[in-house]
Amino acid sequence: MKPLKVLLVIVLVLLPATAFAEYKSINELAKAYSDETCKQCHSKIYDEWKSSYHSQSIVHSLPGLRAFIVNGLGKEWNKPVNREHIMRCMNCHAPQLKDASEPLIKQISDLIVAAVDEKDEAKKESAKKELAKLNVNCVTCHNTKAVVEKNLRGAAQKDVYYSPAGRKSPAHKTEMSPAMERPLFCGQCHGAYTPPDGDVVICNTLYESYQNAYKANGGTETCQDCHMKKNNRGHTFPGAYQLDIVQEGIGLDAQVVGTKLHPGKWVPSIIANIGLINRAGHRIPDG
Amino acid sequence: MVLDVTAKTDKGTVVNMGKKEYWEIGLDAEGDHRLGAWQIKDIIDLTLPPRKTTKETFVTELPADTKNAEVEVKVTYFPAPNKPIEVHKVVKKLNFER
Repeated sequence: MKPLKVLLVIVLVLLPATAFAEYKSINELAKAYSDETCKQCHSKIYDEWKSSYHSQSIVHSLPGLRAFIVNGLGKEWNKPVNREHIMRCMNCHAPQLKDASEPLIKQISDLIVAAVDEKDEAKKESAKKELAKLNVNCVTCHNTKAVVEKNLRGAAQKDVYYSPAGRKSPAHKTEMSPAMERPLFCGQCHGAYTPPDGDVVICNTLYESYQNAYKANGGTETCQDCHMKKNNRGHTFPGAYQLDIVQEGIGLDAQVVGTKLHPGKWVPSIIANIGLINRAGHRIPDG
Repeated sequence: MVLDVTAKTDKGTVVNMGKKEYWEIGLDAEGDHRLGAWQIKDIIDLTLPPRKTTKETFVTELPADTKNAEVEVKVTYFPAPNKPIEVHKVVKKLNFER
């Protein structure tokens, strides 16, 4: 018996804490993945991120998430609402849910449905307020999703923050992940991907369009070039809701002429030849 | 995304020359997903491809007594249902007296 107890202690000490993490409330989960300490040193970046849709990755996508739960799981596939199935969406929309208990997963799913379907406005807003605590935050990109080439570099380590340059910091451990400057990093979520249940989800084919249409046609800019570096956009990651980047992406060439058609009758007529130029790095619309 | 071309004659007659929509199919008018994500992208692509110009031609006849007309070409982007953003609007004035 004693060797078994020793072995159990060794296992509990050596294995990462997250292997056993199963948070039971939204507040516990949000605290475990908190970005509050990040903003103390990175306040400008934090404010940029706070204005982005990454900070609203659940509440901004409520109709689609609700449709997945109600129409997909509930009607089309007749599957239970549990972590295995919810992570198909949440692996990108809120990856920290991989550490949520099954009852918490069910609670969050119920909140998503309530946030769309609830007739009582106060309950609806209350559901949204809770869900707003979960999002794609600093920890998601700079830890959870930071290492793309896992076979080469190993999985992201707990309490280590990754960046393209891996600049050292006295505040926390840092490591370099050069892939964070490559479109493949964004493509982990903004493209066809394989969720934890092994299926293939094509929720968003931006990356596929980037690879097979934009780059195949000679494009050379990266996601980060347009959505972060250009015009000092930083961590605001502008997209379809920001007019300036939409105007950058879509050009209009309107050639319009008035003439008269039908000899004899000479009916005043208009011929409009319109050209819509897609200058973005991917299909439009998409997102 | 919607391309709208409308003509208005000097007599005030409005003629809808044409409308073209570019969109990800699968969303209904209320913004609900009617098709699963894998079904949408595999079936058909109704969007504008990158690094390409998509051309549309509209030809319209006006009332015989039209002497002048104004043509408005408008591009509207819908990042979400019922949330239009006007991206471009071009107005051309035409004269038919000669």
